[in-house]
Parts: sequence; C-alpha cells; structure tokens
Amino acid sequence: MLSVVTACLSACVAAGQTANQDLVIRNATVMTASHGTLQNGSVWVHDGKIAGVGASVDAPATAVVVDATGKYLTPGIIDPHSHSALGNDVNEATSPVTPSMMMIDAFDNRDAALYDALAGGVTTELLLHGSANVIGGQAVVIKNKFGLSRDAMIFPNAPQSIKFASGENPKRVYGSRNQLPSTRMGNFEIMRQSFEDAKVYMAGWDAYNAKVAKGDKSAVAPKVDLKLEALANVLRGKLYVQIHCYRADELLTEEAIAKEYGYKIRAFHHGLEMYKVAGQIAPTGTALATFSDWWGYKDEAWDAIPWNAVMSMRAGVRVALKSDSNDHIRRLNQEAGKMVHYGGATEDEAIRMVTLNPAWIIGVDDRTGSIDVGKDADLVIWNVDPLSTYARAEKVYIDGDLFFDMAAPGFGTPHFSGVMHGAPGEGSEDGDGD
Amino acid sequence: MHNHFRTASIALAALALLACGQLSAQSGAKKSGTIAITGGKLLTVSHGTIENGVLILSDGKIAAVGEAGKVTVPSDATIVDARGLTVYPGLIDPDTALGLMEVGSDPYTSDLSEPSDEIMPHMHVYDAFHAETELIPVARLNGVTNAVVAPAEEDSIAGQDIFIQLAGRDRDAMILGRDIALSMNFGSDQRRHGSQFPSTRMGLITQLRQSLLDAQHYEATRDAAMKKPEKADNKSADKSGDKDGDKSFQRDLKLEALLPYLHGQRPVVVGVYEGYDVESFMKVAQEFHLKVILNHVTRTQEILDEIAAWKVPVIVGPIYDLPRPNERYDAVYTLPAELAKRGVKIAICSGEAGGPGGAHAVRNLPYSAGFAVAYGLPYDEALKAITLNVAEMYGFGDTLGSLDVGKTANVVLANGDPLDVRTDVKQVYIEGVAQPMVSRQTRLRDEYGK
Repeated sequence: MLSVVTACLSACVAAGQTANQDLVIRNATVMTASHGTLQNGSVWVHDGKIAGVGASVDAPATAVVVDATGKYLTPGIIDPHSHSALGNDVNEATSPVTPSMMMIDAFDNRDAALYDALAGGVTTELLLHGSANVIGGQAVVIKNKFGLSRDAMIFPNAPQSIKFASGENPKRVYGSRNQLPSTRMGNFEIMRQSFEDAKVYMAGWDAYNAKVAKGDKSAVAPKVDLKLEALANVLRGKLYVQIHCYRADELLTEEAIAKEYGYKIRAFHHGLEMYKVAGQIAPTGTALATFSDWWGYKDEAWDAIPWNAVMSMRAGVRVALKSDSNDHIRRLNQEAGKMVHYGGATEDEAIRMVTLNPAWIIGVDDRTGSIDVGKDADLVIWNVDPLSTYARAEKVYIDGDLFFDMAAPGFGTPHFSGVMHGAPGEGSEDGDGD
Repeated sequence: MHNHFRTASIALAALALLACGQLSAQSGAKKSGTIAITGGKLLTVSHGTIENGVLILSDGKIAAVGEAGKVTVPSDATIVDARGLTVYPGLIDPDTALGLMEVGSDPYTSDLSEPSDEIMPHMHVYDAFHAETELIPVARLNGVTNAVVAPAEEDSIAGQDIFIQLAGRDRDAMILGRDIALSMNFGSDQRRHGSQFPSTRMGLITQLRQSLLDAQHYEATRDAAMKKPEKADNKSADKSGDKDGDKSFQRDLKLEALLPYLHGQRPVVVGVYEGYDVESFMKVAQEFHLKVILNHVTRTQEILDEIAAWKVPVIVGPIYDLPRPNERYDAVYTLPAELAKRGVKIAICSGEAGGPGGAHAVRNLPYSAGFAVAYGLPYDEALKAITLNVAEMYGFGDTLGSLDVGKTANVVLANGDPLDVRTDVKQVYIEGVAQPMVSRQTRLRDEYGK
C-alpha cells in the first residue's frame, strides 16, 4: 500500500495531475482507429476513461491541458503476440500438450522489455506460451503500467487465451528427441486425441452434475484434472484459441479440426501463407496476427511476402501486426507504416492493425484499441505521423495515467524507479527459429 | 502442394527471364543506352538536393546531373519522367550475408562461417557467394544496389569479404571486389565454451596476437626463401610456385592471407559490441598497425570520445540492438547521432535484433537510417551512412555512393522519402539498366492476388 502511495505521489508531480483529475489533450491530429482522423482534435479523459473526443470537448475548467499542436494522438499500441517478461519460461517443452500452464506464473513485472515496449507506445500485450507444444499454455493479458505492482498490471477481466502450435516447431522439438510428434501428421493427431480425452472427461463431469442436479447425494465428483479441464474449456468455448501456424494447408487443417470438435479459433499467429487461402479463412471469422515483412528464417517462412497482411485484409480477414520480439515490439507503429508501402493500406487501416484489431484478437476491443467515448484512456502522443520512420512516442497514457514521458529525466517513467530485470535478449520465440 | 507450387514458381521465373532475354544470375546483363531522368527531386548525397533535376545515364555511368534547363538532354535519350519522384544513388549495405544463406534455419543452404578454428583469414567469401540467391531481388526492390558480404561472427578472424553489385549475368559480374576486407570479431561470442582453448577474452587476444606474429614471421621466412638461388637438385619443387627463389618453400595460405592487412593495405572490420572489448581490441590493432573499421559498437556509450579520437570509421548498429536493462530505451537509437556529432565517419547496416537479420532484412536498410534520424542524426548524414560513406570505407568512393558525373549509374526512383517506411521504390537502375521490379515474392503475390 505504501509503495502504491509513493508511486502515485511521484506520478502526480511528473504528470502535473492527480489520478482523479481530468485531462484534456488538445489540438492533436487524432487517429481514432474506429472513425477516422480528426485534425485539431481534442480528447477529454475523465476517471481513466475517454469522456469526449472531437473538435471541442466539454471538459471542466479544472482539467489539466496538454497542448499537442503539431502532434499526433493514437490509441495505445497493442501487441497480440509477445513473450516479453517471461524470463526463460516461455516453453514448458517437456510434453507436447501442456494446456494448464499459466503464463502469469512466469510474469516478471520489472522486466526491462516492458519498459522498452512502453517507450514505443505499447499499452497492452498478450503474453503467450511458446510454440514448442502442439497445445501450449494459457496466456496473460497485461496493461503496460510499468512501475506498478504485478497485480496492477494484469488487464482486469480480459478473456483467457490459450496457445496452440503447428508446423515445424513442435515437430522439431519432439522429433529431435525421437518422440511424437516428429511430423505434421503427429502434430494434428495429438490435437485430435487430446480433444477425444477431453470429451470423456467432460462426459464424466456432465454425468456427475446431472446426478447432483437430481439431488443424488451419493454422487462422487470426478477428479479435477487441470490438463483435461483446460482442454474441456476449449471445447466449452471458454478459451480464446490462438494458433501458431504458418502454411496454407495447416491453416485449413486447423479450421477443419476446430469445426470437427466445435470450437472457434480466435486468431492465427504468423500465418505467413494466409494470402494463399484468405478467401477460405475469412468466412470462419478467424483473425490473423502476422509479421509485417519477416521471411525466410525457416522453411515454413519461405513463401512469406510482405503483402500478406493487406491481401488477407482485402479478402475479409481481420488482420493485426504483432511483434513476437522484444525488438519489434518497440516499433510496431513503423511495422504498420510498412503496410502503406506493401499493398497500399490506408492510414486508418494501418493504424487499426496495431490497435483495434489486436484488441479484438485479445478480446478487449470493447475496452481499448480506439479513441471512443467510454473506452479506457490508453493513448499515445507522437511527435509526427506514427506511421513514419521518424515517429517517437512522446507521452504514453494508460487508463488516463501518464506512464511514459520522453521529456522526463532518467527513464522517463513517472511510476518506475529502481532496478529493472532481464538481460538484453531477443525475446523472439518463433522468428529466429528457436 | 507446397513443394509443387515452388517448382511451378521457379519454372515461371525461368520463363519470365527467358521472355526478357535476361537469363542471368541477377538480370541486368544488357548495357544501357542513354536515359534521361527528368523532373525528379535529386538527392545527390555529395552536393545537396536538386528540386527539379535532370540525370543523364549513359553507357552504365552517370553522364550528367543538374538542374532542369542547365543539363542538355541528348536527342537519342530515352526520357524517364520522374516528376513527383525522388531520385537517389543506390543504397549500399555495409554488412550482409547475401548469397551466403537462403533458408535461415537450414544449414545446408548456408555457408556463413567455418567454426573449426578461431583464426580463418583464408576463408574467401567469393568461394561461397551464391549469385542466384532469391534474397538479392528482394533487397534490390527496396533500392539496395550494392553490399558488403561478410561471414558470420563466430570466429576471431572469420574470413575475407566481398563487395557486390545486386545485378549481373553471373557471380563474376556481380563481385566488384574480392578480399576487400578482413572480417574480425572480438567479444564473448567467439570463445569456445567448456574445456577448449580459448575460453576467455584473454585466450582470444593472445591467440590473435600470436597469429599476427606468426604471419609476420612467415613473411620474413618466405621473403628470405624467395631470395635464395634455386638449388639445381630440387626437381620435386612445385612447378606452379614462384619463378624465382626456393621452389620447395611451402606456402601457408592461412598466414599469407593476413599479410595485406598487416601492411595496412586493406581494412579489417571488427565486429565488437562492448566498450571494454573495443578498448582491448584497439590495443592489438594499434600494435600491428591494422587499418580498422569498427562494426556494431552498440554498447560503447561510455567511450564515444575515445572512438572519435582513434579516427576510425564505424559501422554502427544494428540500430535495433536492445539496450541493457536499466539503460534508457534510446541508448542505442541515439548512437549514430552521437558518433556523427563527434566527427566519426559512420555507416549504418540493416540487421535486426531478434529477427532474421543479415540477409533477409537487407531491404530494411533505409529504415534503419531513418530511425537514426528520428533520434538525432542529421538527414544528410543518414543518407550518406548508407551510400557514400560505405563506398568510401571500402574503396569504392570514386565509382559509387552519389549522383556524380562519371560514377556508376546505380540510381533509385521512389515515390517519396527513401528513408520512410511508407515509401514505394518505383524503379532501380544498376549500371544504367532498369532492373525488372520482380522477386520471388512479387511473383507469389501476383499468382495468388489474381
């Protein structure tokens, strides 16, 4: 409690406001991500939420005013695929099926990678299990409130996501040990068998619950099995399924298996060959979280083209860009800018790929990802157009509170002081083939 | 399906090349006629910006450059209307693995380094350079026309680099310079872990020093042997050896490879990251009078004045290298600006931290330079750092790197600022030949975009 109070005091000095004080950012070029760009727009923040946006806002006279003349304002950048702040605990690569692993158990809220991302305007991240396992663990969604406690950084009431993986990574990890899977056949058969097991488990619980409902006091509850429970929750539709998948044929197989077992895939991650089958995938509603222009780092990335995102979007797939990297997470705005070059995305479309669309993939698009009244005040002020190479995040607000200020001394983090953790590392789970 | 399609696309590519009459390693086989690029904004690099310029390309060279109205357009010239476009010299990446790797994770497609020993100066990149690599057209499409190709950084002395042009009928046409520099490295990545020597920085340095001493001794021995009159009874001597001197003298290619560098005839390019490693290495370099180009230096914030005092050129980056924990987030972003401010001649390379760098990301070279501008590097310096400065560091300053009369006609036309991620390159000329703006990736795009 004491530390929270201290943090707040220092924040208040740096931000020139108190947590409850209203904030108005005015005269900015406001890229809303949901309803176009406003020139000379103002945004009013009240109680951590966006209370007004437009040419003028009805903020009280007591509000702190930030003049953003000549600057750009966007929603906070959202990364739907990060392994930051998980130390060396990205993969529980001891079994190809580990759905009960909870990434929150490895989350280190003082990892320097969070700070580096914050300085790049990133306000929300989906921290995923790696891709060593066909069925990996369950993700944690964070708000990048660097300097606050671990609990304060967890995105409240965000949907629970689970990570699946196909293709080269699982077959390499287990194949190199002469274990199943060592092929794509093995990958997919493990999935099917897992869901068969889960169905039996669910039937046991359904039978028990039915007995209890009938008043049968002698009914004995089946054993809670964390692994099968997690798989059952996939079949029950309680988990957002996020699938690491590269090749066109595998995208189709994943959809077929999802259909067979009755669950929805929230998004394909990487999906570098989506452009080949986007017309078939679009009707399923599954989104794509992809790289802008990574290619060639492994065989299943050999057909990657930088037009993938825009081509898939034009075919009706909801597309986000993601980092999968402690480096790229710092400049996702530029990755979005590349989409103007590769395929002619409009500025609106490009900005959505790193804000509203990743928010949808995570399942928090009703709360963040655009500049709309009622949404969390997750906002970034940029020196120039954020889609240009020259953009720097100058101020980053999360829930209306200033968490990064380029002009502030030291780290520029009003809420953080002390020692960061972590070694400079790549934080890339897939991109480098590991 | 996957592999079938690949076969199909390769066949398609071959057809396309045949159709163009350019069956060659990397197109560009034909010499150009005379081309007049008119109305564009010329970024000359060497003498400022010309808002409404004319550039004449003739016989593969730049024949004229200047303001519209002040340059005579030859009557036989093909006119290229560049109004609304930016025209600039082809970009040069100072540190790539182009032609040494194809699929990143597949060692069978890579010839990146020879890790059996730390001292491998006799490894010549030209022996492995794969001219037909699919990576070159991808880089060329974003305006990169030349590059240094160097081995990976696993050895203290990894081998000798080449300087390439990203077009040409075959390997020999594409390699503009062989053994242009010695690729060296010092830091924590070259040591052999476990029980093998060298397992420490002390080991690495002493091994390096011994190798250089051995090379000096070798040279003295060789020179002495060459001066001796030939022995009449030496029938078994190697007939291919020197005409004069002792034909029984056995050449040591490894030590011999070091001699041009010990004489300061060509640069050594040292991959080094930490400030204290730079200091350790420079002691050896000064002891042996090596002509040093520093590479990377991304953790040298505390010795920038020292680096400037050495008056050595620096390839700085990748700019995307991560700062150490508890460093400010822009500790690396600001390095190009900080070095340039101190008068250091800098080049910028394309690598990326964490991503597939070195070869697949060469097309992102201009964005690295642009990012340095975002963090304080003057724009003109940034453009130089990926053109003229690189050419000069490697001995190509007279022929490449700027829009000047007499230089090779490597020219790029783009629809905006070359350093901005949103900009689209419209046409690349290499030796005055308009390059086909296609790659394996554009063919996939067009095939599936129908």
